[in-house]
Amino acid sequence: MGENKECSSMVDNCEEVPTKEVIEFRPPLYKQRYFFVKNLVQQHKPKKVADLGFGDATLIWMLKYHHCIEHLVGVDTYAGSTSQWEISNLSPSVGDYLVPRDLDLTITLYRGSAVQKDSRLVGFDLMTCIELIEHLDSEDLAKFPEVVFGYYSPRIIIISTPNSEFNPLFPASTFRHLDHKFEWNRIQFQTWASDVANLYDYSVEFTGVGSPPAGAEHVGYCTQIGVFQKNEAKATESCISTPEEHVYETVFTTAYPSLQEKKNLLLVLSAEVLRASNSMRLRFIVDPKKKKVNGRLVPEDSCVPRYGLIVTDAQRAQIESSPKPYCVGKKFYVPLERLITFPKVNRLVDSVERLRSLLSEALKLNRDQSALQVDLHDHYSRTMLSY
Amino acid sequence: MSGRARARARGRAPGPGATEVGRPSAAPSVMKYEILWDSLRILGEDGISSGDAGCTFIERGGKIRRDVMDLDICTREKLAHVRDCKRGSSGVPVKLVTNLFSLDLPQNWQLYQYHVAYVPELESRRLRIALLYSHAEFSNKAKAFDGTILFLSQKLEDKVTELSSETSKGETVKMTITLIMELPASSPICIQVLNIIFKKIFKKLAMYQIGRNFYKPSEPVEIPQHKLSLWPGFAISVSQFESRLQFTADVSYKVLRNETVLEFMTGICQQTGMSCFAQMCEKQLLGLIVLTRYNNKTYRIDDIDWSVKPTHTFQKQDGTEITYVDYYKQQYDITLSDLNQPVLVSLLKSKRNDNTEARMAHLIPELCFITGLTRQATTDFQLMKVVAEKTRLSPLGRQQCLARLADDIQRNKYARFELETWGLHFGCQMSLTGRVLPSEKILMQDHVCQPVSAAEWSKDMRNCKILSARPLNKWLIICSNRDKNVAEDFLHCLRRAGSSMGFNVDYPKNIKVQENPAAFLSALQKHVDPDVQLVMCILPSNQKSYYDSIKKYLNSFCPVPSQCALTRTLNKQQMMMSIATRIAMQMACKLGGELWAVEIPLKSLMVVGIDVCKDDFSKDMVVVGFVASINPRITRWFSRCILQRTTTDVADCLKVFMTGALNKWYKHNHGLPARIVVYRDGVGDGQLKTLIEYEVPQLLSSVTEASSNTSPKLSVIVVRKKCTPRFFTETDRSVQNPPLGTVVDSEATRPEWYDFYLISRAACRGTVSPTHYNVIYDDNGLKPDHMQRLTFKLCHLYYNWPGLISIPAPCQYAHKLTFLVAQSIHKEPSLELSNSLFYL
Repeated sequence: MGENKECSSMVDNCEEVPTKEVIEFRPPLYKQRYFFVKNLVQQHKPKKVADLGFGDATLIWMLKYHHCIEHLVGVDTYAGSTSQWEISNLSPSVGDYLVPRDLDLTITLYRGSAVQKDSRLVGFDLMTCIELIEHLDSEDLAKFPEVVFGYYSPRIIIISTPNSEFNPLFPASTFRHLDHKFEWNRIQFQTWASDVANLYDYSVEFTGVGSPPAGAEHVGYCTQIGVFQKNEAKATESCISTPEEHVYETVFTTAYPSLQEKKNLLLVLSAEVLRASNSMRLRFIVDPKKKKVNGRLVPEDSCVPRYGLIVTDAQRAQIESSPKPYCVGKKFYVPLERLITFPKVNRLVDSVERLRSLLSEALKLNRDQSALQVDLHDHYSRTMLSY
Repeated sequence: MSGRARARARGRAPGPGATEVGRPSAAPSVMKYEILWDSLRILGEDGISSGDAGCTFIERGGKIRRDVMDLDICTREKLAHVRDCKRGSSGVPVKLVTNLFSLDLPQNWQLYQYHVAYVPELESRRLRIALLYSHAEFSNKAKAFDGTILFLSQKLEDKVTELSSETSKGETVKMTITLIMELPASSPICIQVLNIIFKKIFKKLAMYQIGRNFYKPSEPVEIPQHKLSLWPGFAISVSQFESRLQFTADVSYKVLRNETVLEFMTGICQQTGMSCFAQMCEKQLLGLIVLTRYNNKTYRIDDIDWSVKPTHTFQKQDGTEITYVDYYKQQYDITLSDLNQPVLVSLLKSKRNDNTEARMAHLIPELCFITGLTRQATTDFQLMKVVAEKTRLSPLGRQQCLARLADDIQRNKYARFELETWGLHFGCQMSLTGRVLPSEKILMQDHVCQPVSAAEWSKDMRNCKILSARPLNKWLIICSNRDKNVAEDFLHCLRRAGSSMGFNVDYPKNIKVQENPAAFLSALQKHVDPDVQLVMCILPSNQKSYYDSIKKYLNSFCPVPSQCALTRTLNKQQMMMSIATRIAMQMACKLGGELWAVEIPLKSLMVVGIDVCKDDFSKDMVVVGFVASINPRITRWFSRCILQRTTTDVADCLKVFMTGALNKWYKHNHGLPARIVVYRDGVGDGQLKTLIEYEVPQLLSSVTEASSNTSPKLSVIVVRKKCTPRFFTETDRSVQNPPLGTVVDSEATRPEWYDFYLISRAACRGTVSPTHYNVIYDDNGLKPDHMQRLTFKLCHLYYNWPGLISIPAPCQYAHKLTFLVAQSIHKEPSLELSNSLFYL
């Protein structure tokens, strides 16, 4: 029994294109296509990603979790009447506020067609056209390369479409979906794709998802996929001069909180710093061996938290060699130089100076601003701690 | 004051009958109604649209509002004496500003409910909605549509409209739109639709919905020391008040915990060490609700599986195996840092009510946030103080928030458009006139005092003798060896305080014990015999186990009144005398004494308080407390308490309790009371129907069986401390809390109820919240004015506080009793104690 239940129930809500497949794919074919895209995202770390023909926005939802993506855009001709589920699943949730992302993320959904030009889609790192082209009539299909490859000209384009050679394995002999204008075999798709790639200076590789059953290997994948990469020789800067042209209608847009915003950074940093100092404070209270040095009560041991600290040996050594926390009266002090050795703090700020300037806004520091000051005892240590 | 911190009961038991929709009903008309509610639920959850070119809208967790269900229960029409007027007359009029905004509709505005049928039938709700919206006829109309039931604010020309549309596949679909009902603005269904419209508007104001409320994540109040984030927001609703529709908004804060379960567990480990780590984790975590970081869902922790690690594999639904680490990386791009953490287990509720095995979800502690405040946190005085400081709003601050909200709604283009297409006009903040009831005199033994402030009269009654007290001759003080001196100092003050109020306190037997709960308990077992009148325990710490074991022993095993106090409290030298006075009063009460009274014009009246609260131990148990006055002066009380399964109706025990109280009354007064007024607290949303159908008849049958000729007349009043309306007085540009004793019985009340609001608690800082009283049954036929004044008088009679309290004393006693049982004893207290206020 797995935790993935809610994930699958989420998918139940979206209406997968009904297919009369007797051959069952595991995982389902649509998931295999989306995971293909996700893997590519992991590999290339694009910042700006657009999904043309986003349908029920499942792919957009799956991609929003990737930390590298800062702009996520969906375009669909039917957007608008489909934006029920999106608003709640694409908007930031409580968790996104509690753990802000490292980088900004905005998600925007447009109503529009992949054969219309809109300057807001120029300059992307990755564009996906999953099961899109077979819905275009011949006129639109002719316009499509010029818009996507010529005008938008993203670094990588993924195009998937049914492989008609696989169709005889299905009971029905027609197209897989009523709205399909065509279904190509591998030669047809690869010819079209290679021509387009040549014309717009891309290189293309072919692959697919949905392996054929044993004995029918010759038909190839159920879904054929072309991955187009722009030949980098050409300067990507050229698109800057593109005049503004807004054809698509925005149907939904949302921005995620991130550490790029100072208040979020402060919050996360304060939480990490307090967590670190708290663990040392408890260690300090429980540890009987302390000595008095210049009015300060200093622990004899290194005062490194015993539990919950996930560090390498080198990191631990670094913490141990940094200045020890101490206590004066009822206050407990943790030198900033020690705090910054904690990996989770170090991840957020790179210097003691930066740590000092940020913390001085949110928490209490000692007089010479070299250490964080907290109360030695809190409710818990007073009532529950067994000495 | 009692050493025990006066913690507040956290939750109210939803109790039986909370979900009325599910109740099977034979009446076909009711069935039809339920189907309609169901459709509204879908509408609330999945989508509603208005004129903006067919943009539909989703809402999460849209449930039928149970408070709206309560509004459907008309109790006033059965009460002849208030059918025409339910307003009181005494007191001084006072002008009040409210947090209600009028919602104006054109005259004769109606909501039109249509049924839409498709030929051929379409399964996809999205497609059905899209097809209907694509019609020009609907493009600019305000509408709400769930795929079957369509609500319009403008009537279509024909009763039956036929339309046809073409799908993208070229298929022609015929739609038949039939008018089902015309609903007036005041109908519950219409109000539900209006609530959905407002939810939609609030989302457009960049507010985030949690439960029923809307919050602004963009303006959080952070308390990093306690790992808390507070989101400011509003609880909103649209409902029908006395004469018109009103929109209510009350400022609310959402407390979010900035702590994952893994961090929480690490904290436990650091505090307690490894020896009893697993045990402590289970003790503190099981039953908590957690929120997952990645998909915004909440789960209850039912178990912790220590044998499963994130590096282990599980089977996905498609049958493939994957490790937790890889799954979260692949699915959510999350890298788990601690590969040794266990997994949390949550049993998922089956959607269908069949007997299939409950499904489990495994959750990773690192990815789960704790929600709400743990018990540990609620006892942390400093934390609660910080939260209170950050969330407390003065009446002026609250008023400013409301003004800003109204401004936001009126300025927002979308909100304006939405309201306009529905024909709604968002009006101004409503003012009304309330009355301030005359203040009450406090009757002492040989003195009548008119308190300077009704909020607290401890100064006024200094050196006054209490009404009656039994001398305390044989009693014990148990304290730790260390606290010997504290006990002696305290005893000295106690005796002085006692004698000045006419309560004679003799020297006790002093027992010194070791500083641990077991030592206290064994001292009790050794020294307490039936002749002991009272046991006082001086507790060295506020560890719950001290208090619980003492109370458990002395309330059920060996019934003797007990008094606990903390050493820390008794050490406060400057306050010693006032602390001793308070404790002397509590002790006097526990021995059956009476402290003070107010004038009660009704000569033979029994008042009853009932409260219900969840047991702290086992969540499927509730504690029902019943407290009744047994003398005409209303100074002596009889109590009963029972623990029962949540699935049982509360009513079952009420008949027995009531009969017991009547017998007691008979014994003391040689007759039955002429009138009984029952105040019922602890009522959840949507329970009103159960109360009327089950509880009132139980009480009635006990009352009628009590006498063959003239049985006592009964009134039942539902008391609710949590209600949305707020009232302020405006004084030269500032806004303040209304004076104590302010009654509101018009405009902010409900037309179908005999109800009123009463402000009987002082709030020095922050905004006072009125208590709502709803008279659901009334044989007594008292004038509304008398009912209001009686209620106000009863708020003066709580002996644990020399001042006014927010609810009538019998309710507060019942609450105190259930709280003691639910938190500490978990057993029915002995009947031998039932004649005293042992639970104070």
